[in-house]
Amino acid sequence: MKFSVIAAFIAAFTMSALAHEGHDHGAPPPPVSVSSAPRAQALSDSLELVAIARDGKLSIYVDDFATNEPASDLVIEVETPAGPATAKAIGDSYEIDAPWSEAPGSYELLFTIIGPQGADVLTASLVTPQVAAAPEHAHTGFSHVIEAASGALGIGVLGFLLGALAMGLRRRSAKSVALVALALGLAAQDPAPASARDLAQRLPDGSLFIPKPTQRLLGVRTLLTKPDSHARIVELPGRVIPDPDASGVVQASVSGRLSAPASGFPRLGARVKAGDVLAYVATPMSAAELSDQRQRQGELDQQIALVQQRIARYERLMSTGSVAKVQLDESRVELAGLNDRREALERRQAEALVAPTSGIIAASNAIAGKIAESNAIIFQIVEPTRLWVEALSFSALPDIAQADARMPDGRTIALAHKGSGLSDRSQSLPVHFAIAADEHNLRIGQLAIVFARTGEMTEGLAVPRASVVQGSNGQSIVYEHTAPERFEARQVRVSALDAQRLLIVSGLNAGGRVVTQGAELLNQVR
Amino acid sequence: MLKHFYVALACLFASPAFAHEAIGPNGGKLVDAGSYHVELVAKGRVVNVYLSDSADKAVPAAGFKGTAILVVDGKPQRLVLAPADGNRLTGEAAVELPKAPKGAVQIQPPGGAMVQGKF
Repeated sequence: MKFSVIAAFIAAFTMSALAHEGHDHGAPPPPVSVSSAPRAQALSDSLELVAIARDGKLSIYVDDFATNEPASDLVIEVETPAGPATAKAIGDSYEIDAPWSEAPGSYELLFTIIGPQGADVLTASLVTPQVAAAPEHAHTGFSHVIEAASGALGIGVLGFLLGALAMGLRRRSAKSVALVALALGLAAQDPAPASARDLAQRLPDGSLFIPKPTQRLLGVRTLLTKPDSHARIVELPGRVIPDPDASGVVQASVSGRLSAPASGFPRLGARVKAGDVLAYVATPMSAAELSDQRQRQGELDQQIALVQQRIARYERLMSTGSVAKVQLDESRVELAGLNDRREALERRQAEALVAPTSGIIAASNAIAGKIAESNAIIFQIVEPTRLWVEALSFSALPDIAQADARMPDGRTIALAHKGSGLSDRSQSLPVHFAIAADEHNLRIGQLAIVFARTGEMTEGLAVPRASVVQGSNGQSIVYEHTAPERFEARQVRVSALDAQRLLIVSGLNAGGRVVTQGAELLNQVR
Repeated sequence: MLKHFYVALACLFASPAFAHEAIGPNGGKLVDAGSYHVELVAKGRVVNVYLSDSADKAVPAAGFKGTAILVVDGKPQRLVLAPADGNRLTGEAAVELPKAPKGAVQIQPPGGAMVQGKF
């Protein structure tokens, strides 16, 4: 019987679901919540209004229809049963005194909202039920009743009463005692205590009832979806690499002992200029080399001694004229050459390692005295303002019009396509992008997801990535704002659009309002 | 009692904003207001509101009271409607009204519950 009455009413509303000017807001929702305060709601093309009556006051919440953003700087006049009233702003809501709303009945309200965009007139009905709190208590469990009764009467009194009842009605079962206690509890309870606030809840049909104040608290924002064609996006895994034109490594060409230049080894992060000496590598000598060198030294020393003696002799004989001057000069040149060779043997030349490019020291393996292998990388130099992203594509990309990358920290960076490889590298092709903007705090090797826009177009509704949440069955869902205080989960199929947005390919009709902020919080409402 | 409660809740969500986009016999827009049909005709500064029942039969306006709030050039104009001849309630605004102004009317039938219509 009860159900048939409810069904009849629901059917009646469905039939009277008439659109007003502008857009169709769909059918008025079925009863929202059995434990909520009396409320009225109204919609216009640009505004959404909820009025909640509690304790003789009518709180009015006005939000932007499309974005669900609280509308501010409004003048709200209400035609109430007690005559016109002007609402006063309280925080981000408005309030009028409405003592009439406490009496049961149906009240027609006419709201005139004067905002920066002009005036809007909204009509709504507020119904104060006969006994607002009765259904709530009808649903509470026995323990709640006991709690309520103990609160009202005191545990001692309750115990005494129960004891007396049990004594007096010894033959009756404990169940009937409990029933009497239940009756007592109901009698002791205040007939209509107004709850302090309404609770967000998931209704039996799976939709969510989120009171306006809770929506404000959760910062729920929406977006009016509209179909559009978007360039098809391919998602590629990538990582940050240095720009090959603005980076380099410092390697020792021979194996040798490292030593610091006069200024010391450059620190990590130090800026160096191309041509700066960063380290020296001195080649150590083997025993065979050493003996070889000693032998040559001895030979040279011997030759130097002989040439010196010869020069001395020639100098003496010059005066007699038996030696030509040219012979003496030749011998002097020979001595200078021998001395040079001797000195070169003494001086063990060390190799200077110079910076091939300007930048900062990204990696350093320099330790004084360490023997560096030949070809070992001693320093890596990177210009931090010039970085690239190397992505791997599993198919040849026809033409990349635009690309951006999403970093693990959620940042989005713009990329410029530089070129794609043709030779396969582990079943994929490398694609290079330059990081266009002057981005900071990136590191070499950092992973990134690249969204490359190709020339192909696809149809769908673009929504921010935060709109799409995972349902309990793992399905992607979005929440649609179907009525001022009502949100319905919609299962959708999505594809990537870019670093910030997803494309809803199916599951959602255009023109709906999709939650863009706070969807994760709505998903937690049970 | 639970039944009453559902009835009350049901009424709460029965938005009175039922737009027909229909034109009444006097050339004005006709909308639903509770169990009545209300036609609003604006001419110059004068607003005429014609009442009829759900079968579009004229309802004598005697004893009815009303308020209209109409938006003119982005500003609301509040005017009181008083019964005139036949099924007509009339009121006068402070400014010239457009031919089909946007807004709403509240009608208080004698001894009945107030009804609203949105234009």
